[in-house]
Amino acid sequence: MMKLRGIGLGFAVTAALVAMPMTASAMECEQITLGSAISLTGKYATNGIHAKNGYEFAIQKIKENGGIKIGDKCYNFNVIYYDDESKGDRGATLAERLISQDKVQYMLGPYSSGLTKAIAPVTEKYKIPMVEAEGASRSLFNKGRKYLFAVLSTSEQYLASAVTLAAEKAKEAGKETSSVKVAVAVENDPFSLDIRAGVLDDAKKYSMNVVIDEKLPRDLSDMSAILTKVKLLKPDLLIVSGHSKGAATAVRQIGEMKIDVPMIAITHCEAADVTGKFGDVANDILCSTQWAETLSYEDPIFGTAANYEKEFKAAFTEYSDKTVPYQTAQASAAVYVFKDAFERAKSLDKEKVRDALASTELMTFYGKIKFAPEGNNIAKPMVLRQIQDGKYNVVAPSEFASHKLNYPRMAK
Amino acid sequence: MNKTVLYTVLLIVAAIAPFLFPAYGTQLATLWLMIIVALTWDLTGGQMGYNSLGNIFFYGTGMYVAAIVTISLVYNVADYTDAAGGGTFKFTWAQYFAGMALGSLAAGLFCAVCAVIIGFITFGLRGPYFAIGTLGVAIAAGELVSNWDWVGGGQGIALPVYPGDLDQGKIVFYFLFAGLGIGIFLFLKWLYGTRFGLAMNAIRDDEDKAEGMGLHTLRYKLTAWAMAAFFVGIAGAISAFQLIHFEPLETAYQTINLGIFMVVCVLLGGKGTLWGPVVGAIVFHVFKEVTWNYFLGWQWVALGALIVITVVYFQEGLMGWLMRMRPEWFGLTVDESGKVEAAE
Repeated sequence: MMKLRGIGLGFAVTAALVAMPMTASAMECEQITLGSAISLTGKYATNGIHAKNGYEFAIQKIKENGGIKIGDKCYNFNVIYYDDESKGDRGATLAERLISQDKVQYMLGPYSSGLTKAIAPVTEKYKIPMVEAEGASRSLFNKGRKYLFAVLSTSEQYLASAVTLAAEKAKEAGKETSSVKVAVAVENDPFSLDIRAGVLDDAKKYSMNVVIDEKLPRDLSDMSAILTKVKLLKPDLLIVSGHSKGAATAVRQIGEMKIDVPMIAITHCEAADVTGKFGDVANDILCSTQWAETLSYEDPIFGTAANYEKEFKAAFTEYSDKTVPYQTAQASAAVYVFKDAFERAKSLDKEKVRDALASTELMTFYGKIKFAPEGNNIAKPMVLRQIQDGKYNVVAPSEFASHKLNYPRMAK
Repeated sequence: MNKTVLYTVLLIVAAIAPFLFPAYGTQLATLWLMIIVALTWDLTGGQMGYNSLGNIFFYGTGMYVAAIVTISLVYNVADYTDAAGGGTFKFTWAQYFAGMALGSLAAGLFCAVCAVIIGFITFGLRGPYFAIGTLGVAIAAGELVSNWDWVGGGQGIALPVYPGDLDQGKIVFYFLFAGLGIGIFLFLKWLYGTRFGLAMNAIRDDEDKAEGMGLHTLRYKLTAWAMAAFFVGIAGAISAFQLIHFEPLETAYQTINLGIFMVVCVLLGGKGTLWGPVVGAIVFHVFKEVTWNYFLGWQWVALGALIVITVVYFQEGLMGWLMRMRPEWFGLTVDESGKVEAAE
């Protein structure tokens, strides 16, 4: 598939002769080996594979653009993957193996905050710089870690704008924000618990009334008990967070049980492909996203956000009739951050690379990347999209909004 | 004489293994963990006929007890595990090792007490009912702990990192597990030769008859399970320090992984034998590590195939099979006179 893509690109470049020596020089580049333990099986497999595809796409793009230039040498990335089975103890063991047996000096992150929490102590103790794209929990960034860098926004920001929107709508209707009833149902994992903490903080700020505060069952395959409660208590805002599986279960059962809540906000809509799987039922649901292909970010390797989506779909045809999930985009951004750091460090020394990473200030197709001393990206906002007639349209925050919010949600 | 040589060679191999293969330190330590959980599972499962699927409860509880003891020696547990806040918590050498020693001991004792209490209820069940009953205890414990915010709930707990040099840390954990494993092996070797061991076998062979012979079977069952729980609790405590971060459902109370693997190890090696769990754990662990590395995507299929082959062709396990094929290796003499007569 990658080869086909390469051929396609070759045709796109008008001067074929220019392309030829570039490919030749790409062949002579040496390799920089990165390691990653990622979920290829288990409950996070869907997103683990999204992330891996994002890594692979970026590696290929960087290769096509002449690789990583350090001095007069050029390098390409090569990743050793292991399957962590979505289990923390496995992830930590595999990280140890990558470092001590495969002699990996630089790591790409796993999928989910839980797995990142399990692996980060290992990379930290071996002083291995890890750029991660899929662990958003704030609890990752308050341990004084020096070798952990995250390109994404932290999780308490995911659904904060949904709470703000609910408050605005209450005010427009002439009601007190304290009259707003909020229902929260989250998975019992570090990421979703942090989402919950953020939502509860914001709800408290507006003195909203949290009527349901429940955890989703362990396998995330049935939340009908919670939704029955929702039917009885009629909240104004329903928040669900449980990665892809939780999102799919929520949308399916919201449809089946004809849940009529004016505002529903969930995470991982695109990764779970809720529009493709459930059609009209998904309409008017709010989805938090780290990145949207409609945003006006741009960089020299991937072009604009829209261009990234187009080229990624061409390379990975299984995404052709879906929205490219942000998990993929941020994984690609993580690889790009590594390239930038290697080139600025002008060295393969991991300490120099770590220092270069810490001083990253990079504009990418995924958004701006600048790390706080704690390692989280502080330069990129979250956006909230609403599914409107099967399309994801940005509705908040207002400076990025391309469409108006549909409110209240019409149950289909 | 031969046995002494064999034991000495094995001990030497165990002692130099982490220095010969320094990169494999963690996997070798995990191998000892598998041996420990298999040996302790066989104590009730193989020797006494009570197949517990809930021994993982003691592993998870050991982890949490050790973590709570270690943290509360220095900090407030609720601050340490706070979901959003938390912060940086430093431990000195002395605090780390004091926590590890006290935590491990507390974990072992707490688990032994738990075994007596849970056993008092579940030992009324027999056969598959006991297995399912104990599995229920482990699953329920995982769910309860994952909703207990004081210990971090579903976020889990991150213990401090080993304070010294990393390679040294790996060797320390290896020898902690190896020491515990060898200790358990010697203890069981002694135990199985005592009247207590015979009583356990009597319970396995016919519990009602054992009761009729005047054995207080419940007391034997509780004592045996408490011993297993004590050792598994300590192993859980050491694992907690080795893994650094753990959470309740997938790591601590991992019923579908380690909780089942320990049974598979014993079945593979041979139930009710001293060496069976050890051999089973070694074969299983090596097989698992190899398939997980070189047959990525097919690892569970390969593992399933291994279990099917064991259950169909080696019901008595590798040691049982060897004992049948080569009884002289085990000091057993076969009386062939009957066979000759029958042929005539």
